[in-house]
Amino acid sequence: MSAETTGPEAIVQVAHLHKWFGLLHVLRDISLTVQPREVVVLIGRSGSGKSTFLRCLNFLEQPSAGTITVAGNRLHLEPGDRPARAHVAALRLCTGMVFQEFNLFPHMTALENVIEGLVTVKKLAKTAAVPIGERYLAKVGLLDKKDVHPIRLSGGQKQRVAIARALAMEPQVMLFDEPTSALDPELIGEVLEVMKQLAREGTTMLVVTHEMQFAREVADRVIYMEAGAIVEQGEPDVIFTRPADPRTRQFLERII
Amino acid sequence: MTAETAPAPSDPDLSMGLRLQARQRHERSLEFLRVGAVWLVLILALTLALTQLRIEPGYLIRRSEVVLKIVGGLWTTILVSLVSVSIAAGLALVGALGRLSANPIAQGISGFYVSVIRGTPLLIQIYIIYLGLPQIGLQLQAAGFRQLGQLFILDAITSGVLALSLNYGAYMTEIFRAGLQSIPHGQWEAAEAIGMTRWQILRRIILPQAIRIIIPDVGNQFIAMQKDSALVSVMGVWEITYLANRSARLDSKYMELFLVAAGLYWLLTIVSTFFQSRLEKRMATAYER
Repeated sequence: MSAETTGPEAIVQVAHLHKWFGLLHVLRDISLTVQPREVVVLIGRSGSGKSTFLRCLNFLEQPSAGTITVAGNRLHLEPGDRPARAHVAALRLCTGMVFQEFNLFPHMTALENVIEGLVTVKKLAKTAAVPIGERYLAKVGLLDKKDVHPIRLSGGQKQRVAIARALAMEPQVMLFDEPTSALDPELIGEVLEVMKQLAREGTTMLVVTHEMQFAREVADRVIYMEAGAIVEQGEPDVIFTRPADPRTRQFLERII
Repeated sequence: MTAETAPAPSDPDLSMGLRLQARQRHERSLEFLRVGAVWLVLILALTLALTQLRIEPGYLIRRSEVVLKIVGGLWTTILVSLVSVSIAAGLALVGALGRLSANPIAQGISGFYVSVIRGTPLLIQIYIIYLGLPQIGLQLQAAGFRQLGQLFILDAITSGVLALSLNYGAYMTEIFRAGLQSIPHGQWEAAEAIGMTRWQILRRIILPQAIRIIIPDVGNQFIAMQKDSALVSVMGVWEITYLANRSARLDSKYMELFLVAAGLYWLLTIVSTFFQSRLEKRMATAYER
């Protein structure tokens, strides 16, 4: 029934999304459409609502109102509504998330981290899950670390395992919430390299980041957010060289 | 024999590091020896003092069958504490989940349980279960509920285990709750993001991490319980304290036999502490660099 509202192309469709934290109106009427294979980078100062927006897409944060459609799964909320658990579960299955703080499971090895969702959520037999897990660990270049616990991995390696863990669930869209912000400068490159590779392979991605160089190189579209609203969006060349809105210009002048 | 066994002595950095390490190890073992010597002196002084006070250590050898009988009570003490701590851990897990639950009924019941049990003495709880409940049982039987009434009339060991389990379950509920809450929120989020349900997250992600954190506290509770189990002697359960008390009265050798009992509890604690630290080390393997 949601097919006609989704449109044939869009993989993510957000309409009139609002979020209140108590009396704070942190997301104000956000609408956004993401096409398959598109890489969208969200920029803006801290507190602008970009992370909250990303976290609303898979209901780690419950939106206060609005409509979210991911890969045909449509969830509409009026203010005060509580979403049905099954709907949330469906949304989470078609989104993969990478966190600033990695959030690897410390009691599991790298491989166990990657196959956890396959075994407990997708109910795959362990024998079937292991080759998939190994494939994704190889993809991020860490197959040799598969039996190592997170404490023995560097920050960059942890984040790459976290990416493999999200990819292993084969989501339709990947959400990156400041994936390099907790890393030492010399470890940022290896994570960005993995993300670039994913972009080249046509993974649909929404990325919140402060890495402007990455945004410039990889993004198909850059969105500037301020005070819980989308101020401006467009191709990176346009946004970075001749932004139309003075607020975008001011932000970029300060950061670059 | 080959080159890899000996570190290159030509490296001044390494040889200095090795020397410092050896020195540190030497100091540590010296300290250990000194503390051990103090213990030895204390024990000797205590023994000497006791023999001066017309306490008769020879009695323990002369009547070794009495001592052996008290030692036999060790098994009952171990059994009662092991069973009770296991049931208590189960209760504590359920209690902690109740306290953290959003459900008002679960929250209410677990909060009430913890408050009542922690608010009353263990000895009173033992009396209520062993002597109080049968009153209800008899009334029920008089009213015609024979089977149901029988459930309220418990033998001494069952009463003791029940009281210890309920009592320690309440204290351990708080330990479990704190343990579950100490796991960073990001762990929940990461598991939710890959689609796991609340129950799956709890079982596969949160509990395994929380258990490692609470092992020292639970071990501490187990060690405390071994001594609190002495209270079940008031019901005539043949454990260490009851046997020591009974035998002591026969020959008026209170100091001698209660010291034996005390020594047995002490030994039990030392052994438990040893196993606890081994368990802690084993649980820590995933967290070692």
